[in-house]
Amino acid sequence: MKEYCMRSGLEMYNDLISSINSAVTNANASLISPGEEEVGDSSVLVNPESIFEVMSFLKPLYNGLQVISGVDYTEYIEVCYFLAHFDPENPKDVMIKTRLKDRQDPRLNSISSLYLAANWQERECYDMLGVSFNNHPDHRRILCPDDWEGFPLRRDYKVQEVYRGMKVNPENKMNRDDQLFEDNKQKGNEADLIAWALSKGL
Amino acid sequence: MQTWDMDLEELKEEETSLPGSKLKTELLTVNMGPQHPATHGVLRVEIKTDSEVVAQAIPHIGYLHRCMEKHCEAIDYRGILPFVDRLDYLASMSQELTYSMAVEKMLGTEVPRRATVIRMIISEMQRIASHLMAFGTYALDLGAFSPFLYAFDEREKILTLFEDISGARLLYNYFWIGGVWNDLTDKNVEYIKEFLDNFEPELVKYDRLVSQNRIFQERTMGVGTLSLADAHSFGATGPVLRGSGSAWDLRKVDPYLFYNEVEFDVPVGEGQRGSEIGDCYNRYYVRMLEMVESVKIIRQSLKLLEPGPTLGKVSKVIKIPKGETYTRTECPRGELGIHLVSHGEKTPYRLKVKSPCFTHTSILPHIAPGQMIADFVASIGSIDIVLGEVDR
Repeated sequence: MKEYCMRSGLEMYNDLISSINSAVTNANASLISPGEEEVGDSSVLVNPESIFEVMSFLKPLYNGLQVISGVDYTEYIEVCYFLAHFDPENPKDVMIKTRLKDRQDPRLNSISSLYLAANWQERECYDMLGVSFNNHPDHRRILCPDDWEGFPLRRDYKVQEVYRGMKVNPENKMNRDDQLFEDNKQKGNEADLIAWALSKGL
Repeated sequence: MQTWDMDLEELKEEETSLPGSKLKTELLTVNMGPQHPATHGVLRVEIKTDSEVVAQAIPHIGYLHRCMEKHCEAIDYRGILPFVDRLDYLASMSQELTYSMAVEKMLGTEVPRRATVIRMIISEMQRIASHLMAFGTYALDLGAFSPFLYAFDEREKILTLFEDISGARLLYNYFWIGGVWNDLTDKNVEYIKEFLDNFEPELVKYDRLVSQNRIFQERTMGVGTLSLADAHSFGATGPVLRGSGSAWDLRKVDPYLFYNEVEFDVPVGEGQRGSEIGDCYNRYYVRMLEMVESVKIIRQSLKLLEPGPTLGKVSKVIKIPKGETYTRTECPRGELGIHLVSHGEKTPYRLKVKSPCFTHTSILPHIAPGQMIADFVASIGSIDIVLGEVDR
């Protein structure tokens, strides 16, 4: 379990990477591990075109898909698959990553035929980051309404102004107090801050 | 295999034309929820029924979506703690534990021994409280009202303790990064001991009242069976996975806190009392047995309590170096995972919550077809979801 944590399990990672590379052509699997000043866990980076083949290869080794997470790094969108082997005798898990350069129409092959969990996880990834999945059985949004515009977890996301004739975030319903508090805090104006807090009865 | 992809036209011909009759019947669409007592929150399930049998169930979620992950990108690490509370509001302490462990792992903070033991005691108390809620509401779903009152009576005692140590009854903000906010006093320890002594006979009472109840057994045995292979493929964890017959428990498999220093068993669904492995009864029964184990763990942890500080050294402004982590712990409802990406700033670059309830809700369309509607209610109750965590 600790295997995928950095430094302790690099050997296991190297074995896995070489076996992926020999089993799947064009997988281009490589190791991402924290650098000098960095902390955290290592992961395996693979080519987005061959994600389905890589997952088919990993399915016998890891029987469960825990979660699909995505991060928008502005230059590319990264999709992370967290696989685990739910076997108390032989526990192991791994983080598989892939990077999509195309921000307009990022596409991946769906793995919902391999792991049942992927169905909803991919839907969430589509809903939040706008990554589309080919051959997905039920490609819809999941948390936002079906007719919502934009993908909230993109870094350049702007909330749509009108939704079904309703104004989103109308002036009279915005919370101004937090903003006032932040402004005063940044100015370092403690006297004002205290006066403000007293006026609010805090 | 994939029931949500079922061709309904085909189904209509096969299932609904009565033998020897020219009458044609149609599937009826019924919406269960979003305001329905049996859906445990704002879950809407679109059910296509053939008379009283569920032909297809499509869960619609998102009614409680509060953009938690997006908000976290703009809030500092300490400020996120109350947000994490509000995910699974019936087991807030366990959620805080996962998040603080993720941040501490990235910071390399050492948590004092006493704080770790307190965390263990409190999160096991939380597990009991959460399972009591699951037990009470499950009986309520199946039409028995009094177990709910018994369960709430005991849960109230735990909430009183939590109120005493944290000041709040539901959303605590008690586990801080680096330790816990308040120390447990001797009075609290006495209170916990007294609670445990009274609680064990209560468990026997619940067993006789509900687990051995013939009506309850008839309603849950052989209903909503989830095979082990499917449970793995769905990524199920917690009581749902253990009810399907796997002894997977993160506390045992990858011990965190001091779970390696205490002795406890992992309850597994083995088809007890003539049930079928992986059915509603097993999932329910695993929870009941887990409460017994939690009592054992708390008793042993109380002995580990030594005087000492309860908050480690954490700088006033928390800045995490560049990197990312995936930390998971065993929460009452399954494994909660935190995927934390940091760019060396005061706020996380990305915080993704792997919610066990989200995973478990996705099992519903798989086990629903062919069930009676009343049995479907039993299935929803047995996987024990909290919509705050499903929608985030």
